[in-house]
Amino acid sequence: MAVDAIAQPELEQIERIGGADLVVGILASDPNCDADAVRGMVRAALGTMSKPVRTVVVCRNGAGGAENPGLPDDSQSPAVSFFKFADPDPAKGPLQTLIDAYQTILTVGGKLGARASGVIASEPRTITAQSAVYRLFQPLLELGFDLVMPRYNRQKTEGLLNRSILSPLSRALYGERLQNPMGPDFGISGKLLQRMAERDDGARRGFQVNPLASIASTAASGGFQACESYLGVRVQAATNWPDLSTLLALVLGPVFLDVERNAALWQRIRGSKPLPWFGNPETESGEAGTVDTQRMLESFHLGTQNLQEVWGNVLPPTTLLELKRLARLPPAQFRMPDDLWASIVYDFVLGHRLRTINRDHLLRSMTPLYLGWIASYAIELETAGQAEVEARMERLAAVFEARKPYLLSRWRWPDRFNP
Amino acid sequence: MWNQVGQALNTSMVRVLSQFASLLPGILALIVALLFSAVIAWIIAALLRRSLASIDFDRRLPQWGFPTIAEWSPSHSPTLLVTRAIVAIVIIIGFLVGVSAFDMSLTSELVLRLFDYLPNLLAALIVLVFGTVIARFVSRSVLIGAVNMNLQYAQLLSAGVKWLVMVLAVAMALEHVGIGGGIIRLAFGILFGGIVLALALAVGLGSKELVTRSLEREATRTAQSTHEPVGHL
Repeated sequence: MAVDAIAQPELEQIERIGGADLVVGILASDPNCDADAVRGMVRAALGTMSKPVRTVVVCRNGAGGAENPGLPDDSQSPAVSFFKFADPDPAKGPLQTLIDAYQTILTVGGKLGARASGVIASEPRTITAQSAVYRLFQPLLELGFDLVMPRYNRQKTEGLLNRSILSPLSRALYGERLQNPMGPDFGISGKLLQRMAERDDGARRGFQVNPLASIASTAASGGFQACESYLGVRVQAATNWPDLSTLLALVLGPVFLDVERNAALWQRIRGSKPLPWFGNPETESGEAGTVDTQRMLESFHLGTQNLQEVWGNVLPPTTLLELKRLARLPPAQFRMPDDLWASIVYDFVLGHRLRTINRDHLLRSMTPLYLGWIASYAIELETAGQAEVEARMERLAAVFEARKPYLLSRWRWPDRFNP
Repeated sequence: MWNQVGQALNTSMVRVLSQFASLLPGILALIVALLFSAVIAWIIAALLRRSLASIDFDRRLPQWGFPTIAEWSPSHSPTLLVTRAIVAIVIIIGFLVGVSAFDMSLTSELVLRLFDYLPNLLAALIVLVFGTVIARFVSRSVLIGAVNMNLQYAQLLSAGVKWLVMVLAVAMALEHVGIGGGIIRLAFGILFGGIVLALALAVGLGSKELVTRSLEREATRTAQSTHEPVGHL
């Protein structure tokens, strides 16, 4: 990880801490990182482990944080140190701030030579933070895993970018069935962190590096052992609809860049395998509520009317025709076929690689298509139960795998298939 | 008297014929220069066409940000446009060489003026090319942004912005070339102001209802959406 993510005085503080077995970043939305409460929580979580774990807790220097930095508090075992980093420039926006925070935490993990590092970014609702720490780091420290990714108990309208693009794409390309390939909570071993740092060298080519985007691919490329842990239900932030295109650009940009970087790897991988998991899936909790599909369909229609020229740079004529046909369907019959959606995602991945148009334009122009997919998903699964939703997502992921040869062909011979 | 008239006619005919005879080598030289330049132009055009075809120039040009060049090109082929431009330049040079066989001073002055003008012409061309690229980029940004904000008049906004930038670029290019002078500045002011006014009127009066409805609906929906159970990550 890049050392320049941390200012010089903070680097000196890290050096004073010396070393650690575990670095835990806490990025929950509440910036009040109370040192005593967090120490107590981490001690309770890690106290049950067979060996004492020297831990460094990293969090933002929020409003309530009083102490910094922490030499280990050795009065109780296991030793827990504290490191608070300066709040990043708020002008960068919340997503970019979050990405910078991840970068900082992983840099601290690398600098301290920790056996395991990780981040807890979401607020668990049905399990305690203590359980979340245990579930994320116990497989790393005691069971020899290199990567622990989260599994959440989600309402059917939660995690939609994960469901529609990130998870099926990661599964089809890297062969590992991760529910949330980009966390946001995760734990990684020191070996995997080191590998990520090596791969990051020279990877910053004009596009913002997001460490979350390369975790799954790095683990797959090095044959690292990955698993998943159930973290229950988490608090979901409300969607900022006017800024949805920024979210897509910030999340998908690094993911597509990572696909480009790992082309040699994913072209060799066929099929996918399920991963071991820990914890217990909870039963569905509460009603999902209704989604305003009307607005999404309007956005999709507006896109098909106005963005044909932009989409025409990346999508083949057959796909454009299919989208026009979809736009004519009445709302109740609106369904985006999985084949079409997988092809669209693959075409955008390729368009991003070929720089057919400006990358930011490309990613932002995907917003109406993504909203079209959400509308189709919400209409189709309006009355579906959790099991039905999971089965539906499994079918979508299988289609992504089945359509992988299409991406391979276009990737290898883009001119032959050029729209 | 008739003898004197005949002598005068003879003298003038001899003078005209001798002047015409003195022009003949020049005319011949012009024809040869034109033929020679045409042959050279043909060879250069053939080589250029082949090399441009080998790099797939027609397809790549829009990807490099110049899609409008294909629209302006004969048969929608930028390769043809480039080769024809090169042919024209070589033939013009051949013509200048041929003309110099008549009168050295005239040609030198013409060439000097042409070379004096060339930097302005190049600067104008660069301004025009950059203006086109910027206009395209900005209009696409506006279009995508407006569509993502669910604005029904996205195309109108995008076209308006595109033409604003294009008009600005053309006015700057003409200023460099020195065509029009004050008239261009005046026309630019009128056009630029006109486009802004047209957009303002379209948004403020013509599409008032549409814009109001559109903005109100978005504001209401944004307020409602905070309670919507949709999460993306």
